[in-house]
Amino acid sequence: MTVSFDQLKAGDGIEGPKFAVSRESIRLFCDASLDYNPLHLDEGYMKGNFGKTNFGGIIMHGMNNFGLLTRMLTDWAKPPGAIHRRLETRWLKPVRPGDTIQPTGIIKSKQVTAKSRWVLIDVMVKNQNGEQVAVGEAMVEFPVATAAA
Amino acid sequence: MAQASSVRSGDFETDFWKDAKSRKVWDEIVPGEPRKTLPYKLTQEAITLFCKAVGETNPLYLDEAAAKAGPYGGLVAPPSIHILLMFACTPADDWMRSPGTVNAGQSWSYNIPARPGDTITLQARALDKFIRRERLFVVHDNVFFNQHGDVICSGRGQTIRPA
Repeated sequence: MTVSFDQLKAGDGIEGPKFAVSRESIRLFCDASLDYNPLHLDEGYMKGNFGKTNFGGIIMHGMNNFGLLTRMLTDWAKPPGAIHRRLETRWLKPVRPGDTIQPTGIIKSKQVTAKSRWVLIDVMVKNQNGEQVAVGEAMVEFPVATAAA
Repeated sequence: MAQASSVRSGDFETDFWKDAKSRKVWDEIVPGEPRKTLPYKLTQEAITLFCKAVGETNPLYLDEAAAKAGPYGGLVAPPSIHILLMFACTPADDWMRSPGTVNAGQSWSYNIPARPGDTITLQARALDKFIRRERLFVVHDNVFFNQHGDVICSGRGQTIRPA
């Protein structure tokens, strides 16, 4: 559904597609990102104690959440000619093989500046149990020049 | 994996243990000191593989004809391509590759998209470091440029360093 800046209001929701996490999806993310940190590859290493934490097995890259949120935002922004300008995230829970995660967003506010228009969006990624695994905030620009489009 | 070989620039070492001893630990990281970085030629193959890994299907990244008719007049990379660029633009002894490095949060601002064929450069440094709840944090400051000197994106992040 194409949105317009004027119609958007606080509380409006955005939803991205669900993503099934597996050993294969994590391995593919290693190859695509060149991030071969053993956190994502080495079961033996991850069985051990990790500082004060024990993950009990490999975990998904936190930045995979970031990639899913970016996908949701860019796909949402493109039809009205808007531009994804900023994404801030932090991770709350590890994501493991077998989990299914989904990015969502809720419009927080709109702001008009001297030369453009902005939408601030609270974003999150939840797992299959409804637990938040990542949260953050995004900023999407709706340039004035495309307002007529 | 044959698929990944086109993503890697030169001899990318995928065993992050191998050069672990040559990397700076938290104590040695000097906030403000520039990190050594490497230029990286971004290929369509690398963009396609990255899109596959995060489920990107937008024709702007994958369909040349559709992208040509779109807002950028050609294929571009998704904004999150900096996830790949961070490792592609840093050498094997960079401390981002230290096994056990935990990402504690990121914020990125996007200016213009990276395009296939771009030669990407990175200016990066630790901006700050601190200890919180016995954990060793570093604050990262990163800016990616294309071959014209245009800013592609800039980011700030925090990692927890392996003890």
